[in-house]
Amino acid sequence: MTAPALDKTRYDVLNVVALKKMAAPQVIAAASGVAVRDVEAVLADLAARGLVVVAAGSVLPTDDAEPALRTTAAGHYAAVRDDPLVAQLVDRFETVNAQFLTTMSAWQQVDVGGRKVANDHSDSAYDDKVISRLDKLVARLGPLLDALADHDPRFGIYPRRFAAAVDGVDEGRHELVSSPTADSIHNIWFEFHEDLLRTLGRERAA
Amino acid sequence: MAEVLAEGYNVFDTGKSPTGTVKYLSAPADVIELIQSGRLGEHILLVQGGTTTFLAPALSMGAIGVITMSGAPESHLGILSREFQTPCIMTAHLTGSDSRYVVGATGPGHFDEIAKALDGRKVRLDCSDHEVGRVLADD
Repeated sequence: MTAPALDKTRYDVLNVVALKKMAAPQVIAAASGVAVRDVEAVLADLAARGLVVVAAGSVLPTDDAEPALRTTAAGHYAAVRDDPLVAQLVDRFETVNAQFLTTMSAWQQVDVGGRKVANDHSDSAYDDKVISRLDKLVARLGPLLDALADHDPRFGIYPRRFAAAVDGVDEGRHELVSSPTADSIHNIWFEFHEDLLRTLGRERAA
Repeated sequence: MAEVLAEGYNVFDTGKSPTGTVKYLSAPADVIELIQSGRLGEHILLVQGGTTTFLAPALSMGAIGVITMSGAPESHLGILSREFQTPCIMTAHLTGSDSRYVVGATGPGHFDEIAKALDGRKVRLDCSDHEVGRVLADD
């Protein structure tokens, strides 16, 4: 059975819930571009449809959320999937993504005599090098994000979130590199990757 | 020494050695149910993949230990488990079986065998080695 398609606002809200796995309405509003008061109404509607539940004060997607998003994305993003520029940029993204994951691990762990140990962040030269590599990798997403935003302006929210996180890191707020509880570079990247795969109707490889 | 039930990649070295009953989570609903039950801290969580992204809420709510049947320590879940300092063993295989995970060439039988052997067992995770993480029987 195919899940029923959602309208664009419901898709945008449910998409963010599914990307974040667990989120408060304000956070969903910021990442989806839908106003907070509208988000609340849409969430109530999605809950009535059995697509989200509230647990421990946060909104979580149910098992039915993913099929509904998949069906809807196939309709909304048919033109994106046929865009040769997007296809070309996405091929390049796979390489950048692999480099990103390695760089993120280098932020968390350092190699000492072939053994990985936790990075205690006492070597600022090492940390600065990793941060500068991350900045470059984020910058390399630019053309793909622009191409996607030409199809759907909500993709324009990612560059703004990345810029805020990168600026914060450059100001010394290092939790914005990889903290799972902040709008960190790793969180934004991960959400974008999953969003991209859903938009294109592809499966996750790594 | 306790019987080693399974081994895999140790995501990060830690002296933490959590014990709990293994709970196999196959879908987001399982995670929601577990969080709502208030018994998250009693279980070592077993999932199929390193890309099992629905596990994130469980980690942020205080999961004590994770075992995956595929995926690499460099994956998203590996990064998250280091951030949360949740001991995590990835691409675990049963020491009593010859079946191994191979990317793109692993049938459901491999995962079923591990889930069947571990789900519901009381175990302890040993993540003190810098390469191998071990699932020890703690019955």
